[in-house]
Amino acid sequence: MEYIRFENVIPNVFAHRNDIFSDIWLKDVEFVKGQKYLIEANSGTGKSSLGSFLFGYRNDYTGTITFDNLDIHSFSKKKWCDLRRKQIAFLWQELRLFPELTALENVAIKNNITRAQKKKTILEWFDMLGIGDKTESLVGKMSYGQQQRVALIRALCQPFDFIFVDEPVSHLDESNSDLMGVLLASEVERQGAGVIVTSIGKRMQMNYDKIFRL
Amino acid sequence: MKLVWKLLRQHISPFQLIGFILANLIGMVVILLGVQFYSDIQAIYNGEDSFMKDDYVIINKKTSMMSSLLGGANGFTDNEMNDLRRQSFIEDVGMFTPSEYEVSASFHMRGITKFSTEMFFESVPDKFIDVKSDKWRYNEGDTRIPIILPQNYLDLYNFGFAQSKNLPKISESLLGILTLRISITGNGRNDVYDGKIVGFSSRINTILVPESFMLWANGEYSSNAKVTPARLILQVNNPTDEKLTTYLSEHNYMTDTEKLDASKTTFMLRVIIGIVLAIGAVICLLSFFILTLSIYLLVQKNSEKIQNLLLLGYTVAKVSLPYQMLAMGLNLTVLFFAFAILFIVRNLYLEIFTSFFPNFVPSSIVPALLTCSVLFILSSVMNFMVIKQKVSRLLI
Repeated sequence: MEYIRFENVIPNVFAHRNDIFSDIWLKDVEFVKGQKYLIEANSGTGKSSLGSFLFGYRNDYTGTITFDNLDIHSFSKKKWCDLRRKQIAFLWQELRLFPELTALENVAIKNNITRAQKKKTILEWFDMLGIGDKTESLVGKMSYGQQQRVALIRALCQPFDFIFVDEPVSHLDESNSDLMGVLLASEVERQGAGVIVTSIGKRMQMNYDKIFRL
Repeated sequence: MKLVWKLLRQHISPFQLIGFILANLIGMVVILLGVQFYSDIQAIYNGEDSFMKDDYVIINKKTSMMSSLLGGANGFTDNEMNDLRRQSFIEDVGMFTPSEYEVSASFHMRGITKFSTEMFFESVPDKFIDVKSDKWRYNEGDTRIPIILPQNYLDLYNFGFAQSKNLPKISESLLGILTLRISITGNGRNDVYDGKIVGFSSRINTILVPESFMLWANGEYSSNAKVTPARLILQVNNPTDEKLTTYLSEHNYMTDTEKLDASKTTFMLRVIIGIVLAIGAVICLLSFFILTLSIYLLVQKNSEKIQNLLLLGYTVAKVSLPYQMLAMGLNLTVLFFAFAILFIVRNLYLEIFTSFFPNFVPSSIVPALLTCSVLFILSSVMNFMVIKQKVSRLLI
């Protein structure tokens, strides 16, 4: 997948508002593979909606979103499953980890279907992000900051053309946030992928090609 | 898959599943027992050498006092016979043709008449006759007429008359070498033939001559127009078929046997088994709903986990699989126990059957096997679809 294009898109909840001043809503915007984008937003401007649309989790919008000129409205459930395994990776703001599984199991449950990373690499990433001793801990017992790091590792356990990371460092200190930025950037670089990062204040450090205000 | 199962087994309620197993087990046992019991009972009615088995039924019209007095026609018309032939439960219809001439038979030994009687002949098409003999044929001009007597004539003599008078019993083969003098009178002629007894029929209770002889002789010795047959022999698929009994009674036809009484018993049995099967089916259906509701509840309680798995890229089929396997496992468990119970109960009633009917050969277990396979496949397929649909609805 080379392009994600937004044409005149607006979430249904904003449809009756005429005070929308956004770089994305109701505009024609294109995200290109290999580029890094930052979307800065205030609360309640539809940031999570944007992610949900891109990931086929919701479709309550008007306008057209296309992946390489294909309207994503027409995608079947099966097509979305394929996309989520092979083309778009996602780090949810609410993480969507399984609290009853350990940190490593949470990553394995994704890697088992993609077979994208070796266990050695995964363990190295745990070490790199400073949670090497937490692999066998239940996610439900970990702090939110630690969970954010587990969620990032899980998101990277797949091939992707684009990765969408929704407020990835909201609960991290600067040094940990930078470490995540480095890991993300290196994997994005390796895969030649595009990255879309959102932030409502604290931003992950990266060399962004373009910054949007939502 | 282990991890997925670890997630999805959360919230499984053993009580609900045991409830389903018990309910479904009861329904399944009722259905399987009903089917198997019915097929075992059918073996009694339709067994190869069963006392109730007879594929031929002889019918005549009811003779009422009025018709006797008024001399009303008691024969079957062509329309009536055609109607009989059209019935699905009747395979073939054969006419009894009576002799239209006078017949007397005598038995001579060393030129002296030992025995002489007036008698009559009847004929039916050869395929309805249960005696197979190569002597059973008549060509025009033959002076020899083969004759078949009812088996019970011989029995009556051997076990009744001969027994009480201390006379020797007569075998079929001994009678076969005797020659009867058959004198036929009619149409102003009188001819003598040799009668040879070629066999005894337990199916047809009359003195039979080949149809070819009868047709020729009726033309030769009688000037009467063709008469309608008073008796018919029917070849039927199943003499216990209640459709046959109903048809015969509706048309005021009588049979000479009580064979058809079996049909009333079978009919009642069918009604009872039908009711039992319906009850079993209702219980099974209800238990299926219990399982469906349990699974709905389970999917609902685990909906967040299922959604997250789907968002990780798991396909609907993959996420549905653990629950589908669970449903299939439960169905298999029920099947296993249902069969065990069927086996035990069947052995009990077969013992009783065998004590009543020593020659009884039970039917195979195939009917129950088929039924449970069909039920298993049906419920599993429905479970599979219901689960997949429910899981699939969790995402747009």
